[in-house]
Amino acid sequence: MEKLIEILEDIQPGVDYATCENLIDGQILNSLTILALVAEIEDAFDVVIPAVWILPENFNSAARIWDLICRLKEEDN
Amino acid sequence: MAMDSYYSIAYLALFLPLVIVVYTLFPKKGRWAVLLGSSLIFFWCISGKLVIYLLASIVSIHYGGIWIALLGTHKDERIRLAAETQGGPTKKELRKIYQKKQMAVTAGIALFNVGLLLFLKYTPFFMGNINRLLAALKIPAALEIPAMAVPIGISFYALQAVSYIMDVYWGKIPAQGNICRLALYMCFFPRLIEGPICRFKEMDEQLFNGERIHFDNLVRGSQRIVFGMMKKLVVADRLNLFIKNVYENPGQYDGGVIAMGAVLYTCQLYMDFSGTMDIVLGTGEIFGIQLPENFRQPFFSKSISQFWQRWHITLGTWFKDYIFYPVSMLRPMKKLTSFGRKHVGNYYGPLLSGGCALFCVWLCNGLWHGSGWNYIFFGMYHFALIFGAQIFEPAAAKICKVLHIPRKSVAWGTVRIVRTAALVCVGEMFFRAHGLKAGLGMFVNMVTNFTFASVKDGSLFQIGMDKKDFLIVAVAVLIVFINSILKEKSIDPREWLGKRGLPVRWGLCYGLILFVIIFGAYGVGYVPLDPIYAGF
Repeated sequence: MEKLIEILEDIQPGVDYATCENLIDGQILNSLTILALVAEIEDAFDVVIPAVWILPENFNSAARIWDLICRLKEEDN
Repeated sequence: MAMDSYYSIAYLALFLPLVIVVYTLFPKKGRWAVLLGSSLIFFWCISGKLVIYLLASIVSIHYGGIWIALLGTHKDERIRLAAETQGGPTKKELRKIYQKKQMAVTAGIALFNVGLLLFLKYTPFFMGNINRLLAALKIPAALEIPAMAVPIGISFYALQAVSYIMDVYWGKIPAQGNICRLALYMCFFPRLIEGPICRFKEMDEQLFNGERIHFDNLVRGSQRIVFGMMKKLVVADRLNLFIKNVYENPGQYDGGVIAMGAVLYTCQLYMDFSGTMDIVLGTGEIFGIQLPENFRQPFFSKSISQFWQRWHITLGTWFKDYIFYPVSMLRPMKKLTSFGRKHVGNYYGPLLSGGCALFCVWLCNGLWHGSGWNYIFFGMYHFALIFGAQIFEPAAAKICKVLHIPRKSVAWGTVRIVRTAALVCVGEMFFRAHGLKAGLGMFVNMVTNFTFASVKDGSLFQIGMDKKDFLIVAVAVLIVFINSILKEKSIDPREWLGKRGLPVRWGLCYGLILFVIIFGAYGVGYVPLDPIYAGF
């Protein structure tokens, strides 16, 4: 999770990712920052995020993104 | 009495009431069959034997979906067996093997549906361009350009077919085993001609449920239908007189008239399309079916990108879900994003891959609207505006800071709204012009020869519309504007109306009906405008 927060802070600084729950709905992350985020997550966690998973509910908070990573890792094994 | 649009007397006075009566008389279980039967009859009335293309699409996605599901079941079975036995392919390898197979089926079905659309809509355009190329190369040969008969609504239902098969592949929805349910999703008559482009997940249950027609739904749906008729019959059809003259003979007019033509065409397009959507959504409402909204007060947008999130919403979200993200998520694109971030930073890095995906979206968007270079230009124009805005955003923020312009102020917001509307009008001018060359000519004329002479000498009121026509249009536009402001403030105008006393409620409703009857542009001297988006 710490690694994910680091990535998020690198891509879009100045947000309290521990508490923020409207990253997409609050337009904190847009489609371009999502592209950067997906590329970084895939590199860092060795997972592949298919386009179908790019939904607001999966990216609205750091916790949700972490859940997504865990689900993808689980599917991979 | 031909039934060729949602505004025809045959549709409004005969077909729709008849469907409502038969639907009500049928038991809940069989109501979906009434909707399917009436949808096929509606399609047949407009496109006749071309129904074969629609049926081919339905059959293709039905069996394609089942095939993908069977491959999924087979995969699970083999994974289960692999877990019990030693050796052989691993779980991961099996997943990859079956994913490839499923992807091949999905691509085949999607290509079949898109291919039909391309073949029927773009063959004359491609062949015409080949002929031009041959002529330019001085090769004495020419292809005979066939006259293609295009089934109504193919641009809309083809995208629905693609979204269904891709959603099944992605596991968003299970494959539908009942071909009739799929058929109803593909050809539900209110949305057949001009959309909205629906998703199977959001429509299937609603269409199949056979909800009883409630009096409230009937009233609310009818209110919306009358409002849509006002937009179309009072504004769009009336403006047609002026617009036809200007766009048929643009060389005859000065830049002021051309600019007026651009503004009025944008107004006409909005009234025509959003008016039809009111009729479509209102009809759906009568049957208790909530179709997705296609407009959200687009002329309150502060940027072109925002405009396209409010105009033809279902097309925009379709392109985002099935082109923008899938293209952006391709492996080379992801590498490009990472490379970009490392070399040009967090902001411009993702713009490289995002820009490529955006280019694909706008090329497809332009082509979807029609087979002509002006449509491709229309797509590229919006791509340039949206991508350019992204590139210059940091510079614009700095300039505003230096000039002490408060970017969140109402005044600055208003400037942005006007600027966006002006850019939209220019784009629509190219869209409506008879070819790219004519569009460019009109644009040059508008910029270099702009005068108010036609207003001063009164000639503006002799181009198909007199002062009375302009006044009627202004009143109708004002009604739509007030309605939009209420919606922008999250007030549902029909809910507001429902809470008023009987005299106000009935007064306003009957007032609107009378306004349409008295001031609708039909009868001698008027040529009704064919629904513009039906042609796409």
